[in-house]
Amino acid sequence: MSALLACSPDALLLSLRVVAVTLALLLVAGVGLGYLLSLSFPLRWLLDALVSLPLVFPPIAIGFFLLMLFGRHGVLGAPLHAQLGWELVFSFPALVLAAFIAGLPLVVKPVQSAIEGSARVLVEASYTLGKGRLETLWRVVIPAVRPSLAAGLTLGAGRAFGEVGITLMLGGNLIGSTETLSLAIYNHVLDGDFTCATRLSLLLGGISLVLFLLLRRLGRL
Amino acid sequence: MTELSAHLAFRRPGFDLRLRLALPGAGITALLGPSGGGKSTLLRLLAGLERPRAGHIRHRQRLWYARAAGIDLAPRRRDLGFMFQDHALFPHLSVAENIGYGLARAPDRAARVTRWIERVGLGGLAQRRPGQLSGGQRQRVALARALAPAPALLLLDEPFSALDASLRQSLRLLLQELIAETATCALLVSHDLEDARQCADRVGVMIGGRLRRLDEAEAVFAAPGDAEVARVLGWPNTLAVTRWEGRAACGPWGRVELARAPRREDSVVALLPDGPRPGARAGLAVEIARVIDMGPYRALSCRLPDRTALRIHLPRALPCPARGERTLLDVPPGCAIALPAGTAKTIQSTRY
Repeated sequence: MSALLACSPDALLLSLRVVAVTLALLLVAGVGLGYLLSLSFPLRWLLDALVSLPLVFPPIAIGFFLLMLFGRHGVLGAPLHAQLGWELVFSFPALVLAAFIAGLPLVVKPVQSAIEGSARVLVEASYTLGKGRLETLWRVVIPAVRPSLAAGLTLGAGRAFGEVGITLMLGGNLIGSTETLSLAIYNHVLDGDFTCATRLSLLLGGISLVLFLLLRRLGRL
Repeated sequence: MTELSAHLAFRRPGFDLRLRLALPGAGITALLGPSGGGKSTLLRLLAGLERPRAGHIRHRQRLWYARAAGIDLAPRRRDLGFMFQDHALFPHLSVAENIGYGLARAPDRAARVTRWIERVGLGGLAQRRPGQLSGGQRQRVALARALAPAPALLLLDEPFSALDASLRQSLRLLLQELIAETATCALLVSHDLEDARQCADRVGVMIGGRLRRLDEAEAVFAAPGDAEVARVLGWPNTLAVTRWEGRAACGPWGRVELARAPRREDSVVALLPDGPRPGARAGLAVEIARVIDMGPYRALSCRLPDRTALRIHLPRALPCPARGERTLLDVPPGCAIALPAGTAKTIQSTRY
């Protein structure tokens, strides 16, 4: 472990923090958006397209557009900076946003499919038994989609750990500040330090495997 | 007093539903009809799970849906129970939790759940999950869950379709008892004629999105209304009539005497399978094409002179002609009725 920490002392902890916060956000957004997208409402297709976009759009391009949006002179970044003095880019929230956007469709889509499939009739049964949408969501939808949610979160966590394109643009790859584990591997390869790159890659793979096993177990409970 | 009245229009690609429906108070109304006729859609419209294009649904004095007035109550506000075809039991909840799901939180809630568990014969299974139950047990849970909140209207979508014959029989009896005890108005959709024969006080027939017949069960079975409805109600033999000779129907298939004179609009004769008997001195000339042993009776597929198929049921005690034998079929007048063709342009008789 000391050899690993010597390679990039802060990257491991930073990645774990990013993934932990991202998973919490994905859990809430995955269920909420999955449920919302299973309903019929105007402009549903637009929300569906926006959520699905990271699946087909190049991450580096998404990162660039987000940089344009949230940068100090961006459409959203400028008023945020002017009104609140808050700057998103090159910060911890930027890393979380990058991981969240990359992982979002991987969580929402399985949950949405589960609700539209086998869970739909359970939702309808709950409605006819006098329950409203929120109670149905809590008592029926979440338990019914738990295996799909666990699978989605596994994929989302893997994506969050491995995210490079959007993170590079939004986070800035600042060593000691926004250098995640994936970016550290990238940086070590650029520096020609293949020993550290190998060690960190093995560590990243190991963490992903443990997370995968944990979430799979959670989905079976 | 009318319990439920509805005037509904609904459309989706390739399907158009338009009907008026009026159900009296307690009792079971069975809705029969071929697949795709709109039976399940009607239940979903009444429950508020689908939205009609126009019309209204009134339950007693309360409007559940009225397009013109902008009223569209959510399913949870409609005071109804719905029993789904595949049970739709919550897999993560126990039998007791499933049955109690629709009950308001009240001090007697647990006692009511226990009473329902006992009433549907599931004592000792309260803590089981649906995955640990047999098909018949799941069906009982679904029935108890739908009835526990004491809904004014119970909608049942093919409730017995996934069960074997003996289980279906016992659950039909249970349903009848529970509906009588709770004085609930129930609308039951089914493909199975026996569900209607054994359970229903009233029978409706839906074909192509239209309610073609709705009346007391006895009246509907005795007078189907037209040939298409007759087929749904278990009259397998419908023959196109080319001319009437008094009370006799004539066609290339032969001649049959009826108990009553035909009306002007009648163009078809429907024959019950149970009355006609082979080996007569006069009657329809047939050739026995197939004999199937059905246990208590034999099902005979007969070929008429114009190659139209005729199906008859012969009690086991009677002598049965062999396959390929030519014989005359006596058709008692009570076994044949004259009917209009319905909306079908041609009569779809089975042919050899």
